[in-house]
Amino acid sequence: MNIGNLRIELEPRLTSPKWLYVVVPVGSLLCAFIVGGVFLALTGHAPIGTFALLIDRGFTSTRGITNTLGTATPLICTGLAAAFAFRMNLFNIGEEGQMYLGMIGSAWAGIALAGHLPGFAAVPVVLMTGALTGALWVLVPAVLRAKMGTSEIVSTLLLNYVALNLVNYFIFGSRGFFRDPSTSFPQGRLIEESARLTSFGSTRTYPTVIIAVGLAVGLYWYMKRSNYGYETSVLADSPNTARYAGMNATKLTLSVLLFSGALAGLAGAMYVVGPAGKVDPGLLQVGLGYAGIVVAALARYNFMAVVLTAVLFAGLREGGASLQISTNPVPISIAVVLQGAVLLFALGGEVFRRNRLRVRRVQQTVSV
Amino acid sequence: MKKHIKGFALTAAAVFGLAACGGSSTTETTEAAGGEYDNLKVAVVYIGVPGDAGYTYQHDQGIAALEAELGITVTRLENIPEGAESTATFDQLAAEGYNLIFGTSFGYMDPMLEVSGKYTDKCFLHATGYKTSPNLGTYFGAAEEARYLSGIAAGAASPTGKLGYVAAFPIPEVVRGLNAFTLGARSVNPEATVQVQWTSTWFDPAKEKEAAQALLQAGADVLGMHQDSTATGEAAMEAGAKWVGYNSDTIAGGFPDTWLTAPIWDWGPYYISAAKQFAAGTCPAGDSGQYYGNMADGTVKLGTFGSSVSAETQALIAERAAAIIDGSFAPFTGPINDNAGNEVIADGEVAPLGDLLGMQYLVEGVIGEIPSS
Repeated sequence: MNIGNLRIELEPRLTSPKWLYVVVPVGSLLCAFIVGGVFLALTGHAPIGTFALLIDRGFTSTRGITNTLGTATPLICTGLAAAFAFRMNLFNIGEEGQMYLGMIGSAWAGIALAGHLPGFAAVPVVLMTGALTGALWVLVPAVLRAKMGTSEIVSTLLLNYVALNLVNYFIFGSRGFFRDPSTSFPQGRLIEESARLTSFGSTRTYPTVIIAVGLAVGLYWYMKRSNYGYETSVLADSPNTARYAGMNATKLTLSVLLFSGALAGLAGAMYVVGPAGKVDPGLLQVGLGYAGIVVAALARYNFMAVVLTAVLFAGLREGGASLQISTNPVPISIAVVLQGAVLLFALGGEVFRRNRLRVRRVQQTVSV
Repeated sequence: MKKHIKGFALTAAAVFGLAACGGSSTTETTEAAGGEYDNLKVAVVYIGVPGDAGYTYQHDQGIAALEAELGITVTRLENIPEGAESTATFDQLAAEGYNLIFGTSFGYMDPMLEVSGKYTDKCFLHATGYKTSPNLGTYFGAAEEARYLSGIAAGAASPTGKLGYVAAFPIPEVVRGLNAFTLGARSVNPEATVQVQWTSTWFDPAKEKEAAQALLQAGADVLGMHQDSTATGEAAMEAGAKWVGYNSDTIAGGFPDTWLTAPIWDWGPYYISAAKQFAAGTCPAGDSGQYYGNMADGTVKLGTFGSSVSAETQALIAERAAAIIDGSFAPFTGPINDNAGNEVIADGEVAPLGDLLGMQYLVEGVIGEIPSS
């Protein structure tokens, strides 16, 4: 880009200095707050006060952070699911649907199995069943991709709509197993009490948050240290090299997609053992599966960073929605603009971490 | 997925519960006592936005009426998803000191129940649900009365007698409305049939328009609908067919030739009455706090008529409306058969409210089916 006789160029950095990892995110947030602040000022809201409220309601107050962690728990899982697949260049867009299937599968286990299990086993079995059904939901796209190279983007995306209609069918379209038999109102049937977790104190944070964070740490460590982690990263960088080195590309592709689906399914199962306790069509309105892709991208597919970006995303949502609770309420649409600004600048900031900005004086050539 | 499922009341006494519950033992004395409105801190939680020109719009009109009447400002929360995630919103409201909290969508039921147990000094009122607690009440109303009247307009406007109906979910509220519409249409056009198309959505204009177009292609010349969007009307207008709206008649002017009428809601009187009761010290909650409005008390109305509803039909509708309001006529009066030929309401009998609120059959004349238990 040229401005006058200055040429502005982006030059890729070979290495990023450590300080940039701090300056870029902080600078991105500052930029987002400036842009958001202009928006707020134009619509008659005090920018500083509004941001203070957003941060208080989303992050720093006890109620705010515990609400945020509650929403972030399944989001960490869908974020890990997306990060796990995307970093292998396998674009599983189906976390949303796999999460619904996890909800269905875990509710099934919570109703049908939990009563026959010793108390300590109920929750783990229900969570595992949810993970399993999430993985099963991605089985067909995974096989098609691994065996025939069919685009997993399209197939996983389309299955989201099938999953959505499946939930609707179980709750609204039929009166079968998943529906509360005690009322003619369309409601999910509650799972066994033994398969439910209670939240910490009177907060909305559930013990599943520990599992979610533990998974992030475990994946970070395992994928760095294990042969499996090495093989998948070779496959991602160069499928031919992987093949030449004798790695089984089919097996690796299958396993990555299935495990990604299992993580997304686990998100749905955590919703069931935690706050919902049933197949709850309310989950269809929240979009935690699609948000997981955003969270993973923000985290640059780094498992540990997924935890942070999921909390950031959830807090912006919680805080943003509750900006409507104020003497000068901020409309939800402006709250969404603020969230968008933060996310956009956070992604955009990456450009400056990876590239160097060069400004050079150039000779003006006078054209006649 | 979305919103209201509605209705329901446990006992007939609950029907006019709002008026009846003032002295009830299940109501709570609250911090708002005193008769002045300064202590009222009111919030309403919407599933959508008032710009839907439908369900949420009508609630917002009612809230505006409440603000004007009491001289207060109500905090509105828009686009709050249903289900367990909404618990945080209600919890936040109560923690911020809001003491009268309305939720207008069915899926807020369990979250409101949970939060009402935690903040027993606050008053929670939930539209379309059926669960109550000492400080959680419900409100809804007999849209089926106006649905029946709108069916008369639809039946009279259809030369072929082939009507279509775009419907959200096969739940009692929607089924009740569809049946009332069909009974109204067949009261003036005994051979009329109503083909139903389920959309599994409350507000998805593109999907609802497709459903409407499918009905029109199948030969329907008049459409009714139970959705939050006006997409059915757009499809009808493009095809030159007549249609009956729902929730609101604010968009009637946009459909000069094809609009017939619409069952509409007027929530203002309920919101005002509930807030005044609460200000006077009682939360209209508990078993007796299950408000079910109707045409007689003005919660349910029939909207403005379009130019293609004849004076004759309008007169007939006015006559039936008067009979509904004075109690001499009820739409669900037997003999009524379901569409499989079984008698569901015997000759001369009037279906009790409890049956209506759990309705699980389609009346004769409806082409379609609902899931059975």
